[in-house]
Amino acid sequence: MDRALSWLLGGRRPLASHLLLAPASLWLIFLLVIPAGGLILLSFATNGPYGAIVWEFGLHNYARAFDPKYLPVLIRTIIFAGATTITCLVLGYPVAYYLSFRAGRWRNALLVGLMVPFWSSCLVAYYSWMIVLGKEGLLNTALIRFGFLSEPIGFLYTPFSILLGLVYFYLPFTVLPLYASLDKVPRSVVEAAYDLGANRWKAFWKVTLPLSMPGVVAGCILTFIPCLGDFLTVEILGGPRYYLLGNLISNQFMMAQDWPFGSALTCLLLAGLVGGLWLYQRWEKA
Amino acid sequence: MADPVSRRSFLKAAVLAPLLPSLLAACRRADDKKVVNFFNWSNYIGKDTLPGFTKRTGVEVRYDLFADEDEMFAKLRAGAKGYDLVVIGDYLIPRFRALNLSEPVPTAALKNFNNISSRFRRPVYDPEEGSVPYMWGTTGIAYNKKKLKKAPTSWWDLWDPKYKDRVSMLDNVRDSIGVALLMLGIPPTTRDPEDFRKVREHLIKQKPLVKQYSSSSYLNSLVSGEIDLAMTWSGDLFQTARENPDLDYVIPKEGTHLWVDCLTLLRGSRHREDTLRLIDYLLEPEVAAANANSVRYASPNEKALKFVDPVLLNDPRVYPKGAMMKNLRLNAVLDPEQSELWNQTWADVKVA
Repeated sequence: MDRALSWLLGGRRPLASHLLLAPASLWLIFLLVIPAGGLILLSFATNGPYGAIVWEFGLHNYARAFDPKYLPVLIRTIIFAGATTITCLVLGYPVAYYLSFRAGRWRNALLVGLMVPFWSSCLVAYYSWMIVLGKEGLLNTALIRFGFLSEPIGFLYTPFSILLGLVYFYLPFTVLPLYASLDKVPRSVVEAAYDLGANRWKAFWKVTLPLSMPGVVAGCILTFIPCLGDFLTVEILGGPRYYLLGNLISNQFMMAQDWPFGSALTCLLLAGLVGGLWLYQRWEKA
Repeated sequence: MADPVSRRSFLKAAVLAPLLPSLLAACRRADDKKVVNFFNWSNYIGKDTLPGFTKRTGVEVRYDLFADEDEMFAKLRAGAKGYDLVVIGDYLIPRFRALNLSEPVPTAALKNFNNISSRFRRPVYDPEEGSVPYMWGTTGIAYNKKKLKKAPTSWWDLWDPKYKDRVSMLDNVRDSIGVALLMLGIPPTTRDPEDFRKVREHLIKQKPLVKQYSSSSYLNSLVSGEIDLAMTWSGDLFQTARENPDLDYVIPKEGTHLWVDCLTLLRGSRHREDTLRLIDYLLEPEVAAANANSVRYASPNEKALKFVDPVLLNDPRVYPKGAMMKNLRLNAVLDPEQSELWNQTWADVKVA
């Protein structure tokens, strides 16, 4: 079998290796390259009568995107994405640490437990949160029953409910890379730190944490980036004053019927992300 | 290492392979079955309406739902295929024509089209009568009788700071901009940018009071007490009031628009004949009345009115009378330029 594979992939028969790569390449071409190309093309087109697309090309959509009225939306989005990432990291690191160092034979069960919410649609999860957070919801009822509150608080449609939804949904994105990299920390190195006189805290601070940094970075990137484009959370759990970039874009396609402008906004977001990741990689190599 | 493909599974595949074409053919035959693909608002048809049609004609109706008109429009525009019939708001009819999404219903050929009340014949939005009025209703204010000391009477009540965080507004260009223009006394056919600046400011001024811009989930918020006042569509509120009898509906004293939702034939329909049969069926007086009784919107079908539940028929909130009826106006028909101004203004309000 191994011989067969190396024969297939070997330099003598490049055709075979192309064939083996074909499914993945086709997948990428049809589901990434072509749609992205279409999006870029559309971003230069013009919005016609009743939102018909007119193929007259120009930079007008990009010029519009730099209107200062969109700046608060961008800042708000970065704040929400940043707050989500930090909260996920603070909550996720201990979880990942426990899973990797302490969970023992429960580890796999706990990992599955972490993944379970992921198998259901986040729509279902968000509607459940609405039931919990509502004025007549579980949380308010409990707080009133135990005398912490006299009147229900409107938790829903506030920055709190948005952040809660985002953290709830993106937490596994932070925990899994953290777990993977903590799991790779050689236990012998940590023990060596103890042998050299470090206490628990110092060993963690000087050895475990630095060695888990790749996981921290990966977890943060995997949380921050999808957060920047999230629109569903605000749509369901957010109010009108917490409009994010994702809502701005989805609104161009749905309500404003201005697909070229929506495409330009999407392209700018993508360019910002790719540029940011590129800079990060350069910085990391340096 | 075991062979990745065992001999047995290879044989199985070899035996099954010739069956594939006949399987595909079966699928194709299934598609030739008599069906109509109907795309409609959620909660917008009587329970027995479609089964009645299938029972009589043997034509199956595949019924698909949307909860948001913009979403429906975006979906059809993006080229969603396979729908034959859709219910759309009056203001969308010129737009569907312009974008070549719909084709005119041959209303002259329908047996029951003359049941439509003269009020809804040759409407401004569709003078050629290529669409069939399905239901009509009004946009007004929903409120919770128990939570409000005084019932709202005016659109300005939705701008009252004492209701901060208890208000929701429809997330819909036609209603939000239309009502704002009405409140400011600006004719809806304006194309003056200054007017739209005023509208934008007017709506932005209200924004700090608004808990939700929503066209469907606000109904749950009303039931659960999350909000106490909402801009709403008449029948939606009457349906919701079944769950919470404290909810009531008022047509503001400034008046409002009367809108008509229409059955529209989609271009490229592959089941034209049966779709027209379905439309004709929906126009039958008894069917239209039972349907209207269930969704609690008003029926544009004159002949159906005598079968409509008298409680609904005599309810001025459902079928406004006299002076109130005069206060209602149809949506203005907008050209692409005006429609773009409306869209942009609402988009700016949401960004602000």
